[in-house]
Amino acid sequence: MVENKLKIAFYWAASCGGCEIAVLDLDEKILDVVKIADIVFWPVAMDIKYKDVENMPDKYIDICFFNGSVRNDEQEHMAKLLRQKSKVLVAFGSCAHEGCIPGLANLHNSEQILSKVYLKQFSNENPDKVIPKPETQVKEGTLRIPRFYDTVKTLAQTVEVDYYLPGCPPPVKLIANAVEAIAKNELPPKGSVLAPLKSVCDECPRTRDDKKITKIYRVYEKVPEPEKCLLEQGILCMGPATRSGCDAQCLTVDMPCTGCGGPCPNVPEQGAAMISALASIMGVEEEKEAYTEEEVETLMSQIKDPIGTFYMYSLPASILKRKVIKQ
Amino acid sequence: MKEVVINPITRLEGHGSISIFLNDAGEVENAYLKIPELRGFEQFCIGRKAELMPILTTRICGVCPVAHHFASTKALDAAFNVDPPSTAKKLRELMYSGYIIYDHILHFYFLGGPDFIVGPDAPPEKRNILGVIEKAGMDVAKQVIKHRSYGQRITAILGGKATHPTCGLPGGISKALNEENRKEIEEMALSSLGFAQLSLKLFHDVVLGNTAYVDLIKSDSYTMKTYYMGMVDDNNKVNFYDGKIRVVDPNGLEFLKFEPKDYLDHVGEHVEEWTYS
Repeated sequence: MVENKLKIAFYWAASCGGCEIAVLDLDEKILDVVKIADIVFWPVAMDIKYKDVENMPDKYIDICFFNGSVRNDEQEHMAKLLRQKSKVLVAFGSCAHEGCIPGLANLHNSEQILSKVYLKQFSNENPDKVIPKPETQVKEGTLRIPRFYDTVKTLAQTVEVDYYLPGCPPPVKLIANAVEAIAKNELPPKGSVLAPLKSVCDECPRTRDDKKITKIYRVYEKVPEPEKCLLEQGILCMGPATRSGCDAQCLTVDMPCTGCGGPCPNVPEQGAAMISALASIMGVEEEKEAYTEEEVETLMSQIKDPIGTFYMYSLPASILKRKVIKQ
Repeated sequence: MKEVVINPITRLEGHGSISIFLNDAGEVENAYLKIPELRGFEQFCIGRKAELMPILTTRICGVCPVAHHFASTKALDAAFNVDPPSTAKKLRELMYSGYIIYDHILHFYFLGGPDFIVGPDAPPEKRNILGVIEKAGMDVAKQVIKHRSYGQRITAILGGKATHPTCGLPGGISKALNEENRKEIEEMALSSLGFAQLSLKLFHDVVLGNTAYVDLIKSDSYTMKTYYMGMVDDNNKVNFYDGKIRVVDPNGLEFLKFEPKDYLDHVGEHVEEWTYS
């Protein structure tokens, strides 16, 4: 038995559960984790309730890994509660880090989403046009559910965050590195993103010829050459604008990076960075004179759904944050 | 009325809480299962590229991403009006089978199983994977971990990433399987088959071999009479990748069978004010 074992917590807010699976993907290393740490809260794996967390003294938890974004008042409450109860708070995975795919909900507001989900789906059987609401009186008493917000927020937009583990989900290697750093008490300065400083392209084995492109192919329009850079074959790949740590896994099955690792260091805007990378591979930047405004427009119009492509994982954390919806 | 609240529901994928109301006699008057979670995929998938759906919808659930991945991929087959070649169908089914290995191990040893393996009388703090390891021993624990990782590895070979795969395309998948990987998958699959038999034996010995357990499982409080819905092949055998949807009644008799594309004729979504799903 190790004296004074660390106390670790895992929590999920607006998430998919994939981050918990990523923790289990540590495989045998999870046995090392439980050697050095007691897991004091982990809803997916252990029967510990919210009231147990509320009863913990402040800063009782040494490290809390918080996944999921914050999009209702219960998640906001849990973020604040776990901040209060934890010495170190880690935004674990793309949702907590940047909002991730569920952050695309920021292109709408709560009214639009509730109405789409409960009133306008083909499968809705809802003649009374019922929409869930925070408080409902039933004959036995009052039923409460969280208030659904207009805007998806990242963890750092809600409480102070000490570290970030990027990725959807975070690559096992990065989780293992973080656990090792915790075990050896060798965590980097607060605020650090616990991932390599390079881009996905730096980990990608495909070869590049500095080729320029003029045509963008959708993934189903072209069988790519297996060893060559997808972007140089005209397939939109977020690799140049995305932080590495994943060993370019998606590329191993000839599919492009869609950007789940988030922005590279010192480039806070992943979408803008990708637009800039595209401008350069399309030769728009260096050869400004060669293109008319119209031709640039034609080139760029090949990119369908730019917001969903360039900000698929990072909309809430970006300077765009959300779409302004006029009432 | 006195309200007993269970919040959150633990050891399952997803969020939930339960409100149980007791009357003056202390008997259960009514109970409500409330799902506090909504993200709105129905809305924000609109406007995205169709071919992105197999990647985007996996984020509905990171525990069963392969199910969402191929549901979307098959929807793309239909939208593009293409029938994938038999090799592609088999590779998709192979990947799904890898996922089943991992998912069943997850359910049996991590989520649902601890109640049985550690025991219904065990304290809550023991009813989890660590309690299972304590009870079943480190050798079983290492087998559990190894075979769960095999399931994930099979999905990763074919899908790029285990949680959240990316290989699904309209009419097929993005990458062929090479001989080296095929062999690796075959070895992992055979080993997993052995492990499944070991797990069945464990359930037999620990649970079914114990009359107290069996009485509990067969008691009213553990029995729910309900209809069941699942996918079957032409012989009504379960198939996880393709087939028809079959509904059976509480006695196991067929109530309905239909093509997945006709689901709107048979499936409707009811809405309550006090739960998001």
